[in-house]
Amino acid sequence: MKIIPSILQVFPALVLSVTLYGQGRTALDVDISGYWTPALHEDGLERGNGPEIADYGGFALNDAGRLWALSYDPSRVTLRHHQCDAYVMPYQMRAVGNFRTWEERDPHTQQLIAIDVWAQTTEGHRVIWMDGRPHPPAWAPHSFTGFSTGRFVGNALTIYTTHLKQGWLRRNGSPESDQATVTEFIVRHGDHLTDTTVVTDPVFLSEPEVRSNDYVRQPGDHHVWLYACDDGEEITGRAPDVVPNYPFGKQPFAREYSQKYKLPFVASLAGAESIYPGFAAKIKTVTEAETLAKLQPMPNRPSETSHAPDPEPHDGEIHVLPVRENVYMLVGDAGNIVVQTGDQGAFVVDTGAGKLSDMVIAAIRRLSPKPIQFIANTSMHAEHVGGNAKLAAAGSDPSLPGSFFDLQAPGAATGHLADPAHHATMMAQNNVVIRLQAAKAPEEAVPADTYLEERRRKFHNGELIELFYEPNAVTDGDSIVHFRHSDVIAAGDVFTTTQYPFIDLKNGGSVQGEIKALNDILNRTGYEHEEQGGTYIVPGHGYLSDEHEVVEYRDMVVIVRDRVQAMIKAGATVEQVQAARVTADYDTRYGANSGPWTTANFVEAVYTSLKQPPGKVSGR
Amino acid sequence: MSVIRFFASRYASSIIVLVASATVYAQGRGRGAPPPPPTPRAGAPIDITGYWVSLVTEDWRYRQFTPPKGDYESVPINPAGKKVAGDWDPAKDEAAGEQCKAYGAAGIMRVPTRLHITWQDDNTLKLETDAGTQTRIFRFGPPQGAGGDWQGVSSASWDRPRAQIATGFGGIDFGFEPPPAPGGSLKVVTSKMKPGYLRKNGVPYGASTVMTEYFDRFDLPGGDALLLDISEVNDPEYLAQPFWTSTHFKKQNDASGWNPTPCSSR
Repeated sequence: MKIIPSILQVFPALVLSVTLYGQGRTALDVDISGYWTPALHEDGLERGNGPEIADYGGFALNDAGRLWALSYDPSRVTLRHHQCDAYVMPYQMRAVGNFRTWEERDPHTQQLIAIDVWAQTTEGHRVIWMDGRPHPPAWAPHSFTGFSTGRFVGNALTIYTTHLKQGWLRRNGSPESDQATVTEFIVRHGDHLTDTTVVTDPVFLSEPEVRSNDYVRQPGDHHVWLYACDDGEEITGRAPDVVPNYPFGKQPFAREYSQKYKLPFVASLAGAESIYPGFAAKIKTVTEAETLAKLQPMPNRPSETSHAPDPEPHDGEIHVLPVRENVYMLVGDAGNIVVQTGDQGAFVVDTGAGKLSDMVIAAIRRLSPKPIQFIANTSMHAEHVGGNAKLAAAGSDPSLPGSFFDLQAPGAATGHLADPAHHATMMAQNNVVIRLQAAKAPEEAVPADTYLEERRRKFHNGELIELFYEPNAVTDGDSIVHFRHSDVIAAGDVFTTTQYPFIDLKNGGSVQGEIKALNDILNRTGYEHEEQGGTYIVPGHGYLSDEHEVVEYRDMVVIVRDRVQAMIKAGATVEQVQAARVTADYDTRYGANSGPWTTANFVEAVYTSLKQPPGKVSGR
Repeated sequence: MSVIRFFASRYASSIIVLVASATVYAQGRGRGAPPPPPTPRAGAPIDITGYWVSLVTEDWRYRQFTPPKGDYESVPINPAGKKVAGDWDPAKDEAAGEQCKAYGAAGIMRVPTRLHITWQDDNTLKLETDAGTQTRIFRFGPPQGAGGDWQGVSSASWDRPRAQIATGFGGIDFGFEPPPAPGGSLKVVTSKMKPGYLRKNGVPYGASTVMTEYFDRFDLPGGDALLLDISEVNDPEYLAQPFWTSTHFKKQNDASGWNPTPCSSR
């Protein structure tokens, strides 16, 4: 009888052995599951209490990154939309705070799907996909933890992360852009885990930034995982267009760190060379003038151009990105297009450049068998109205036949409303119509359903859709379109992730209106968690965003406005403002020296609209 | 039907197949005379030889510059250690001919430097630094030598990423032994060091310090490679808990920048 318990033991053991043997070669070889506490034996002071301003030594910040950091005022976090900013992933791995990690496995095959990381600080939930899935397209949303895929290489879990939001390399304003990617290596030696992050940021770094973080395994739950953050008024009475920042060369605390620790001032400002041996000897010959030159842009040099890859596809295809519920973003025909579907006909915001309209129509038909019923234009710019005629002709507005409008004669002021059964109804702020007519746009491309002030409301496909007028922003006819139930805002060119705002002075744009419009978007957004998620913003160009991207963009426009305003007060000409490179810290992200909208165009537009605030549109 | 018969009838064939598989597998492994174990050099799971340069991105001001006396932030130093650190006097060190106190095994890897790592022989790795012109010897096998100098005695081994999976159950070994996972680290345990400094400003480690290091190599897209030195310093004399650092180096294609310099106490 003694054999019985042996068999009972042996059989599952054999099966287990074979299973382990079969999986071990290709699947999980390093188990990092469990509870981990960081060992703050490196940079303990800055990771705990926090770093000091102008402590950039050891960071390969390029000129743009250093200037961005020097312009940073820590009181920026008192702004409502920054109060709950989460830490961007590389910094989250480095900051003080515990982690819990666990595996997700397919319940049927036991294959590893993902490794999850939950960070105590800012409640960062990170998913490292281990199932070989591809990274999302360039127009997909970004997050503070990014999109990570992993695989085991040698004795390391190797991870690649993209789609990060803008954040901190260090929480003294040293920036990490939304174009950063991270290669990561996690190794485990007993109960000691080490995570090495290699941040590549074409916008703010001149070479990859390598840091490593050590953790010790804990026997059980740390508890205290939550970092609930709600924003509120920290400074009352502040104007909405205030973003704390310091002008170039005016950072009052620039010398504080180096003086406190008796370091050469230039040392704390240095970039990539500060990482390598021999740095201390090398800087002994640097003069005070050379040091001071690092505090502001080198004048009279060509502006840097954007180092960010173009997120828009140019493959001649229309790509459909589900946004939320029955709202979609269509990418590929220059300006982004938003489509809402439902029991009624499709509601479309903007129609692209019109080069791929047939494909746009086909894509919409795949989303809904109903006709395109409404088209709203966010502005009169060609990349947003280019497909008006074709899309309108492909649709119909079944709410019009038999109505009052049906009685109107062809050629009346209401345009193709006279043929309601065979056209979608196009709507826009009235100045769009005036501008398009002045530009002699074909009648069938001109919206007929207009509004003058404040907003236009439409309850359609089960939700309220509102067009809000944003006067004198990019043009004098801009609208933002809010799908209230889906909580998606189509921003048009008021907000893009690809370039400086195209402030079209000739068509009534202004920097003041642009800032107001961006703040109007922010007044209508909410975040889901730690300043991300929640309301989605579809930019006129670029990737699907949430309020964090709008906040960073708003900050940029305000800061550039402040610099230009200061130079105007000092009597500078537009040429002098351009030569001063007032956008130097943003040019590697948004700059252009050629094409339809250059950095010089933008600076001139800011300058001119500050000198000559826009008037009313002629012909209105 | 007895329990034995039940199992025999239901699972006999499966058990036979599994045991047979185990036997075949075990025989396959053991066919002929067992080959001699490869030398550490031949069996190296990673290649860390060549020239490497420090990337001083962490503890920057403590490493690129000599910090002020008493600045031992981040080091889990105990009261005895603080007292010694408070007495730091670089002039005294120079006068005593001990300029190399920050270049001992527990400090040298944090000094901005270039490394040149070579196989001295099939059982010994040699790590040279241009900063302070130091040489560390990593001998595979049990520690050898009396030590007592700055670099002490280092014992090396190849460390696999995880412990062997226990395939036996209930005390029975079925002959299965999953192959080791690919990759590995160089593990180095160093002791018998002459007392020195963890940092140049006199943060001390004592004679009974034992330092365990794991060297890992990571290959980056584009061809670059990183060497990571994960270090745990245990010093019952001056530390309140183990001192952990992870120091990284970037691979160089050649000896560019190699610039041997003497130790400096300042």
